[in-house]
Order: sequence, then structure tokens, then C-alpha cells
Amino acid sequence: MFAFLAKRTLALVATVLLASFAVFLIPYATPGDPARKIIRSRVAGDAIDESAVSSLTTELGLHDPLFVQFHRWLGRFLSGDMGLSYSSQTPVVEQVLPALGITLTLVVAALGVAVLVSLILGITSGLHEGRRTDRVITTVTQALIAIPEYWLAPMLVLIFAVKLTLLPSAGWVSGASLVLPVAVLAARPSSYFTSAVRSGMIEALDAEHVTAARSRGLSYPRTIMRHVIPNGLLPLATLLAVWFAGLLGGSVIVEVIFSIPGMGRLLYDAVLNNDIPVAQGSVVLVVALAVAITTMADLVHRTLNPLLGDNRA
Amino acid sequence: MLKRPLATRAAVWVLVVIVAAVALAPWFGLRDPVEPNLGMRFSSPSPAFWLGTDHLGRDTLSRLLDGGRFSLSIAAVATVLTGLVGTAIGVLSARRGGWVDEFFTRTNDVLLALPEMVIALFIVAAAGPGTHSLLLALTVTGWTPFARLARTLTYEISGQGFLKAARVVGCSPQFIIFRHILPHLSGPLIGQATLRFGQLLISVGALSYLGLGVQPPQSDWGAMLAAAQPHAERAPLAILVPGLAIFIVALCVTLIGQRITELAGNRAITAPRTEEAHA
Repeated sequence: MFAFLAKRTLALVATVLLASFAVFLIPYATPGDPARKIIRSRVAGDAIDESAVSSLTTELGLHDPLFVQFHRWLGRFLSGDMGLSYSSQTPVVEQVLPALGITLTLVVAALGVAVLVSLILGITSGLHEGRRTDRVITTVTQALIAIPEYWLAPMLVLIFAVKLTLLPSAGWVSGASLVLPVAVLAARPSSYFTSAVRSGMIEALDAEHVTAARSRGLSYPRTIMRHVIPNGLLPLATLLAVWFAGLLGGSVIVEVIFSIPGMGRLLYDAVLNNDIPVAQGSVVLVVALAVAITTMADLVHRTLNPLLGDNRA
Repeated sequence: MLKRPLATRAAVWVLVVIVAAVALAPWFGLRDPVEPNLGMRFSSPSPAFWLGTDHLGRDTLSRLLDGGRFSLSIAAVATVLTGLVGTAIGVLSARRGGWVDEFFTRTNDVLLALPEMVIALFIVAAAGPGTHSLLLALTVTGWTPFARLARTLTYEISGQGFLKAARVVGCSPQFIIFRHILPHLSGPLIGQATLRFGQLLISVGALSYLGLGVQPPQSDWGAMLAAAQPHAERAPLAILVPGLAIFIVALCVTLIGQRITELAGNRAITAPRTEEAHA
């Protein structure tokens, strides 16, 4: 277990470092003078004259080897100094952290809804395998996978915000503004979770210890509650982690459609406006978070399932 | 081959009709999908405009068929690219083993943990928007399911007698891969490709919706949806129709893909995300 932990942590750090290096290279890889772009992220104000550029280039150490610069950039980054946004000329951290909070709220709420929906639908359909209830649930959840979010969202807005005027169509002001974005974000994971819970249930119902429990005289409802459902839910643990990372990206579209000032929207605007420092900050943060969650889920998965060998380490 | 279940058969026919309509659209004598016609803004469906017009007076039907050309062909190219790259990596990993295998398995783990959309945005940020960076982004993020499947299957058959026999007889590694291994993988891989096509179609639409894919005045289904959205109240059809098209095509290929997978007798593939979680 310790070796596994060490290996995983190492892989985590390596991934985040690699991603940060790729992100660090953006000003060098995109067209234009890298020095000017970097100076712009350190000094407020766009119009800097030539003499200032050359003195600042020396001052900021932009003649140093790339790795020395990366080391310096990463050090500043880790101490919370991500530079200044080109468009607002305020520190990137001050934009990134609140946005991250909003996105996390969205993602966690959507995952919660998806888990709830999939528990109800998955357990029902698993217990009625092959019957009409199961077929209806399976068909609907499969169709859900094929619905694009960028279509579901405007359709829901049209129905619930424009025609019925029950919910706000966009923005981030009250609890009601959460409803539609969370519904859209939860649609696809609900579908995958439901089919996972369903097959988990079917597998668990077949297990020998369930037959044993029943023959010991345990009642059907008690058997289901104590022996079938807990096992049927195991696959959910891994899926949750994969989808956490997936939704961090998936929220880009939802945040853009509903004008929610989250991480996805911030990153999207930064890409459109060429706001390099903001793009760098948000990509590194999202990647670090996603990789950390996946690693954690791996650990949980191994704790729950000690039969797994070291082969995934 | 895809006869039995009624749903699959229906899906094949729906798909054939849609693809034929999109491919033959230039010969239907429809209105220009790009040229604005401000006198005809927000028309309701009529004999002249079967699906009405959008906020610039452009015929929605004609835009739908024209957009389908981009959406379907980009998704198809992306499927083929990811399929080729992924299969090559998967077979190579399984046959070579050692550090090659280790390297690609690690890369695969990393890509799995990273949000696809963020990688795509990153690539578009570096390479600029357009069809080329769209394809690049989809390929970089999309090869992994194919690689995992090809690797697993290659491992499975590598232990079998006929491969050892082929080696003993003196077949070259290339010959073994192309004549003995790839034919065995083709069924499950085609099933996987069909399933992935649906997901890639949705991803193409997503990136174009965000303005990062097909650039105006051309538009695919995603870009069409984005253009129609501010006017959803007055021209709901212009937004309903392209989304419905993506949905129907994605649903049909999913049904067909599942059937092919079933027929190929492979348990290893299910829906993409579920499969990823268990890989």
C-alpha cells in the first residue's frame, strides 16, 4: 500500500508539473514577442516604450535559460502570484479563486443530482431486470447520452424561462439560477451512473452470499438493503471521479450558455481574448484539481477493493 | 448483418436517409445557406421554407443540410484519425511491452484524468480556431478508448497458438500484425468506432458552438445552434432543428454501434465513459 501511495503521488506531481510546463510555454509558442507578453502580465499598462521593454526584459530575467525561467514562474505561481490579467489588469488569483468556487458548486451539485437520480432509477431497473420498467428506464437513459448539452440548455431555457417564466434564463444570483445549469450538467452523468448501478445491482443479485442470506431466512427487503444495494453501488465510486474531471471541462459550455462567472467561462473568455495569464492560471488549477481527485478516487477504490493487485500502481 | 432487433434496423434506415439528404443537398436546388435575405427574417414554416428562416432570413432547411456536411464529415474524419492512432498505439504497446507500453499507459491515465474540453481549449488557444485545430484537439483527446481496446484484445490473442505458429514459421512482425492480429480486432474496433462517432459528433458541435471550430460564414450544426440562440424566442425552429439532428444521428449510431459490439462478441466495450472507468 505504501509503495502504491508513493507511486501515485509521484505520478500526480509529475503530471501537474508537465501540464504546468506546457502552460508556461504558451507565451513562447504563440505568435508575437514572448518578452512583451510576459512583461504585460507583470506590469499593469499596455503601452510600454522600447527602452522600458529592454530594461524589464533584463530585470525579469527573460534572457535566462527556459528552465530557469520555468522554475521562477512556478515558484511565483505556487506562492499565489499568477501575474496580472491583460484585460482587467488585476491579479489573476483574485479572478481565479472565486470562479473556482462557483464551478465547484455547480459540479458538486450536478454530481449529487446525478447520484440521486441514478440510485432511484438504477436500483429500480436492476430489481426489475428485463421487465417493462427496466426497458423504459434503460431506453430513456441511453437516449440521454445522445443529447448535446448545448441543445438541451437552450431548449430548457425556452420552456422554463421564456414560456413558463418559472426560472431565470441566465446569471448567478439566487438558488433558482442553479436549477437549469445543474439539470443540464447532470443529464449525461445520470445516464452513465444509472447503467452502472443497474449492472452492479444485477451482478450483486446473482452473488452467492445473496442466495445464502435468503436461504438463512432473511426477508427479501432486508436482503436487498443489506447485501445487494451496498455491492451494487461500488461501480459508482470510480465513475464519480472520472466524471468529476469530465464535468470540470463540461461546465465550460454550461457556464457560457447561462453566463455563470465560473472557471469554464473564465478560461473560455481568456482564450477568446488572448488573455494569457488568466488562461495559464485557470488551466493549471483545473488540471491540478482533476488529477488530485482522480488519484484520490484510485486510493479509495483500492481501499474498498483490496483484491486489486499492484498492477495499476 | 444488422438484421434482428427492429431498433437497429430503423436506426440504419434513418441514418441512410440523413446522410443521403446531406450528401445530395447541392442537387436539391435549395436556397443559399449563407447569403442573408433580410426581407424574409423569422418566417414560419411554409411551402417555400419548410423549416422557416432564421434571424437573417436564411432558409433553415438549407442551412441544416449544408451544416450537416461539415458536422458529419468532421466527426467521420475525427473517428478515423482517433481510430488509426489509437489502434496503432494499442497494438504496438501490447506487442512491444516494456517502456513503450509503460509510456502509453501512463499517457492514457493522464489524459483520462484531464478534462477533455480544457485540453481542447488549450490547443485552440495555441493553434487558433478552425477545422484543423478542431481535428487536432479531438485526436489528442480521443485516441485513448481505441488504444485501450486494441491493447487488451491484442494481449488476449497474443497467447494463442496460431500466433506462435506464425512466428515459428518465420512470419515477420509486420506480417503478423497486419494478417493475423488486425483482422481479429476489426469487429470490436468497428463497433467502438461507431459508438465514438456519436460522441465525437457531439464534441465537434460543442467546440463549434463555442466558436472554436468551423468558422463563419460556414457553419456546422453546432455553430448554427449558437447563431440561432439569441433569437430563440422568435425563430425556435432554427435552434430546435440542428440540435435534433445531432441527437438523432448520435442516437442511431449508438444503437448500431451497440449491435455491432454485441455481434462482435466483445464484452470489453460498453458506453465510452463506463468503459473508461473500468479500464
